[in-house]
Amino acid sequence: MFTMYGSIRVLLQVLWAQLLCGWVLGSELTFELPDNAKQCFYEDIIIGTKCTLEFQVVTGGHYDVDCRLEDPDGTVLYKEMKKQYDSFTFTAAKNGTYKFCFSNEFSTFTHKTVYFDFQVGEDPPLFPNENRVTALTQMESACVSIHEALKSVIDYQTHFRLREAQGRSRAEDLNTRVAFWSIGEAFILLVVSISQVVLLRSFFSDKKTTTTRVGS
Amino acid sequence: MMLAVSAATLTLLLAWICPSYALYFHIGETEKKCFIEEIPDETMVIGKYRTQLWDKQTSSFLPSTPGLGMHVEIKDPDTKIILSRQYGSDGRFTFTSHTPGEHQICLHSNSTKMALFAGGKLRVHLDIQVGEHTNNYPEIAAKDKLTELQLRVRQLLDQVEQIQKEQNYQRYREERFRMTSESTNQRVLWWSIAQTLILIVTGIWQMKHLKSFFEAKKLV
Repeated sequence: MFTMYGSIRVLLQVLWAQLLCGWVLGSELTFELPDNAKQCFYEDIIIGTKCTLEFQVVTGGHYDVDCRLEDPDGTVLYKEMKKQYDSFTFTAAKNGTYKFCFSNEFSTFTHKTVYFDFQVGEDPPLFPNENRVTALTQMESACVSIHEALKSVIDYQTHFRLREAQGRSRAEDLNTRVAFWSIGEAFILLVVSISQVVLLRSFFSDKKTTTTRVGS
Repeated sequence: MMLAVSAATLTLLLAWICPSYALYFHIGETEKKCFIEEIPDETMVIGKYRTQLWDKQTSSFLPSTPGLGMHVEIKDPDTKIILSRQYGSDGRFTFTSHTPGEHQICLHSNSTKMALFAGGKLRVHLDIQVGEHTNNYPEIAAKDKLTELQLRVRQLLDQVEQIQKEQNYQRYREERFRMTSESTNQRVLWWSIAQTLILIVTGIWQMKHLKSFFEAKKLV
């Protein structure tokens, strides 16, 4: 009887530990997508899990990218062309590998930096052995709501940071372009004005010799 | 005995559909995949990866590939290499940023034998956690013997600290942005003045030169 109780406890702990797999931490990555390239990411999701895919183009060209999300059977759940920023929430209807791809195949020479955040399920609980039999106290529920509010603050901060990075990279591009352009144009001005004078002189020099030859 | 066996099989079964690190992608043999993390200073980053190799015989991905390693290279915002190490097929790397900005984490396989990539694909599971996500709260609770409420407050403190660092970093970035804009403004101003001057000077020079040239040629 003692061994049976022990084995049941082990089995329950194993099941509980595996149940925690339903709570998977979100993945947030920023990567560079070269021109004419496509990058795909895959994730194994359990049925019934609520997932959110959020992406934003940070730098490059017109700040747009194609995004496509497919379920394990290949059905397209989300497909958008040339989108700058979007957020898509869905509940997994099937078990298996979900695939999402970012494509820059429409662009010939600009490579883009893309940020995406793929949240799967809920955050893992603070205490793995927590028993949810008793309700949360007022303090605990206040902590939970503050935690959720802070999570959304961090999310907004991330998006603000990306927009700022966008603006900053444009400003730095503009700065270098203005520098090169001003030097280049000053040089072109000088060259053109000198060559104009030289060309005009050459016109008059030829005429002079012809007239003298005809004269004599 | 029976229960132990069934527990073991259940674990194995669930472990197969529940990999430890969630997101994965495919990488070619000589391909280098880089990820950018824009982080404030004194922020900890923990990266974990796991590789799987395509096996032609079984037409599936093998659980692990012994002998195949991944080279991890991390560059700081000044493009100085802060970490450049070879890890095995499963690896865990960690670093703390000392300067705020864009850090680049690059991964590429160290495979030299073409035969290993017969299928052409290597599956890499990757998980990068930044800042307060790197804290392992159950571990902290056990170490410091915190109650549930204390642990929750600790988590909130860590989150607020991260927000504070990010705001600080934002102020530094905005300063840089402002400096760049002001420099562009200055450059445009000086360039327009300089160009006007050049135009006027070359115009005057052209007229003077041509006038003297025509006078010499007795055309004027």
